[in-house]
Amino acid sequence: MVYHTQNKKSLLQVLSMSLCLSVLLLTGCASTTGSIVSKDDPYEEVNRSIFEFNRDLDDHITGPVSTAYDFITPDFVQAGIGNFFNNLKDINVVLNDLMQGKLLQAGEDTGRFLLNTTVGLAGIFDVATEVGLEKHDEDFAQTLAVWGVPKGPYLVLPILGSSTTRGIPGYIFDTATNPATYIPVPIRALEMLNLRAQSEGALNVIEEGALDPYLFTRESFLQSRQHKITDGESELEDDLDIDALLDDESTDVNQENQLNLGNSGEFKQASDTLNSTESSLEKTSQSFDELSDRIDELEYKEFKNKRR
Amino acid sequence: MLTEFKNKFFFAIIAFFLSVNFANVQAESQTAKQVVETFQAELLAVMQQGKELGFQGRYKKLDTAIAKSHDLTKIARIVIGREWAKLNEAQQQELVDVFTRLSIAAYAYNFKEFSGESFKFEAEEETTRGGVIVHTYLLIPDDKDVKFDYMLKKKGESWRIINIIANGVSDLALKRSEYTSILKADGFDALITKISEKIDNYAKQ
Repeated sequence: MVYHTQNKKSLLQVLSMSLCLSVLLLTGCASTTGSIVSKDDPYEEVNRSIFEFNRDLDDHITGPVSTAYDFITPDFVQAGIGNFFNNLKDINVVLNDLMQGKLLQAGEDTGRFLLNTTVGLAGIFDVATEVGLEKHDEDFAQTLAVWGVPKGPYLVLPILGSSTTRGIPGYIFDTATNPATYIPVPIRALEMLNLRAQSEGALNVIEEGALDPYLFTRESFLQSRQHKITDGESELEDDLDIDALLDDESTDVNQENQLNLGNSGEFKQASDTLNSTESSLEKTSQSFDELSDRIDELEYKEFKNKRR
Repeated sequence: MLTEFKNKFFFAIIAFFLSVNFANVQAESQTAKQVVETFQAELLAVMQQGKELGFQGRYKKLDTAIAKSHDLTKIARIVIGREWAKLNEAQQQELVDVFTRLSIAAYAYNFKEFSGESFKFEAEEETTRGGVIVHTYLLIPDDKDVKFDYMLKKKGESWRIINIIANGVSDLALKRSEYTSILKADGFDALITKISEKIDNYAKQ
């Protein structure tokens, strides 16, 4: 047990140190661009390009495939497929319960997994929820947050969508602990397709309601993650200072100060090397823009051909 | 005879004032919890008759329900933050107007049908800054409950909703980041145009 804690501690230290470093270095690099709106999103430009790319991909490929899938797959089949993959994820949930010290919840989630795998026929039926064992939402990025690792800048990943720098090791760990990863057939494509079909409603809300879908997605993602990390005990107080919100003069200055931290003192050296990272990020951004344009062009040609 | 009439008249007046005062007291004494629950009940009623009412019908009913439970002027102000002070009075009024229409239209569009949903009150808490948070759940049959936290502030003597937080996602914070960014990047007229487009889209479908 002692060994375990020590081991956990050192792992924690290494992880948080490397993450802190990357976060600081990256923010340092970002502060050189000088066009920062949100402290959570120093790479807004690149992120927006990837966001647009993802949207184009969804408009022309994922979306239509998902619509077709939704059309031929009855709701109960979709629910079953969703349950099957969720059940496999419960192994990861138990591991993260333990790593966050939620022993009781770990016990409940182990019970969930065993019950659904047996009585629920390999997880196709979520019988555990029926008997009062609610599904918990835990992942490695949440565990890292509980351990004190800062979330780092907001990132939009190609195909995978919204994340933060903390989400990347989180994603790698979660993928590694998911048995579906080790099935030689690309079965997780089905998982993503099923998930996409079931998210149709939420995606429509964004498309129809948001003045700026990118900002809407970013803000709701960041807030929703915070809600999960704190298990719903988010600091509502922040929102409550209405009088301060009415004439907020301080926030932007604070944000700028925070962002400028990376450029001072010992991090100055790193900023040179990171300038090149920045330009490569810009190139990435451009190539995503180009890809987006190309997809649009293809769509236009198709449209023209059809009219002929 | 005359005195009797006078007396009757006098009592009638007293009764009238009493009743008016009584009604006022009733309206004043509606607690934050009651404001939220009245609004939720009205929303559910609109959902139940959603199809018969149509968009315009739902909009009309929600217009009154929202007006007496939300402080949309304050919400609009918070949403654009310190940009508010940079607008002239006509612009401020225009913003509040389109913002109000957008809020009602969004409700009318998103809450158009009923499939057994209900609201459950959980708790009420006072905040340090004189507000109240009413914690409730939206119960959806065969689906996970959605946590709805309403944040209320006093407007004069009555409580008004100024923010709704659904599963930890604050409506005010979402709108704030969108609106301030559009205002800064594209200016006031672009913001109004965008909001108007959204209202038209909601009304069309």
